[in-house]
Amino acid sequence: MSPAAPALAVIPALNEASRIGAVIDGVRRAAEPVDVLVVDDGSEDDTAAQARVHGALVISHPFNLGYGAALQTGYKHAARAGYTCLVQLDADGQHDPADVRRLLQPIQAGRAEVVIGSRFAEARGYHMGVARTIGRTFFQRVLVACGGPRIADPTSGFQALARDAFLLCCEDFYPSDFPDVDVLLLMHRRGLRIVEVPVTMAQSPPGRIAMHAGLRAVYYPYKMLLSTFRSALAPKETP
Amino acid sequence: MNIEQIDVDALRRLMMDQPEPWTTRAIALAVSLAFLGAVLNLVRRGRLREEYTPIWTVVAVGIMTLSVWSAGLRVITRMVGAWAPSSTLFFFGELFLLILCLNYAVRLSSLTLHVKLLAQEIAILRAERDGRRDARA
Repeated sequence: MSPAAPALAVIPALNEASRIGAVIDGVRRAAEPVDVLVVDDGSEDDTAAQARVHGALVISHPFNLGYGAALQTGYKHAARAGYTCLVQLDADGQHDPADVRRLLQPIQAGRAEVVIGSRFAEARGYHMGVARTIGRTFFQRVLVACGGPRIADPTSGFQALARDAFLLCCEDFYPSDFPDVDVLLLMHRRGLRIVEVPVTMAQSPPGRIAMHAGLRAVYYPYKMLLSTFRSALAPKETP
Repeated sequence: MNIEQIDVDALRRLMMDQPEPWTTRAIALAVSLAFLGAVLNLVRRGRLREEYTPIWTVVAVGIMTLSVWSAGLRVITRMVGAWAPSSTLFFFGELFLLILCLNYAVRLSSLTLHVKLLAQEIAILRAERDGRRDARA
């Protein structure tokens, strides 16, 4: 860890050898001196090698554990290495590294423990499909109905977390697959302050298998409702 | 015959009093003995851990007991209000399988968490080891 770098950029990656280098370089250019960690979630291509070539620290899972588990490995590393805050972004280039600084800023100013890079806090021309828009609106309402905050983009994976927040995410409850509304609700109930920062997000690159495609489109809402219900029963703490 | 003329209680008594054929009892006894033998053999070959055997031993001994003591099955059948001993067996068999599946799902959840924790720990330790090796070099 660089002595002057209290922040870590966590990039979970699965078979992103062709894109990971550009993302790492983008983070370095936009937010020096943030350290970059790539969590290779059992890739079958040379994602890990490419990440090392571009100067990132790489942690490789021995096999695929899931997007949430890859993020959690990053949190665990950040916890052990003593980082005070981190930013997480996708390896496919969907998240613009130029926004990393703006995401970290509310945490470094002590105004929040969780910062969500929001596609919808401002109109920035991001187009979401009908099904995903319905899903996002539904879970937005579920979050509010369960006593959570009103968040314009609760499914955004572009987030910055303060130490208290990522330490919470190191616990066993943290899902291996899709950490979304359920985790936000639990963070809120544990007294962590959540704010949104408008960001520009690219559409998913062509050819990429969507995280919620196929049967997962049915399983995801079911599982998310169940884990949100569990979060809603967690004891509430005041900030 | 008109259906209203049937004495339901008499019909139930008739079904309950039917003797269990010796062939059924012999098959049940043979199956339970074979099952117990299979469990012991799996333990001997190390393919089944001892801590997972009690439930299967109880099942084998239970079937064995009921095959030689069919009056016991009739008593249970009367208690649960079933009409035939075979219904009682099916009911408890299904209930047992349901509970067993739930139990395995709980164990599987726990093992999945353990595998994830171990894999993460290995990945982090490996990265730390590589980092130290690079620093020395």
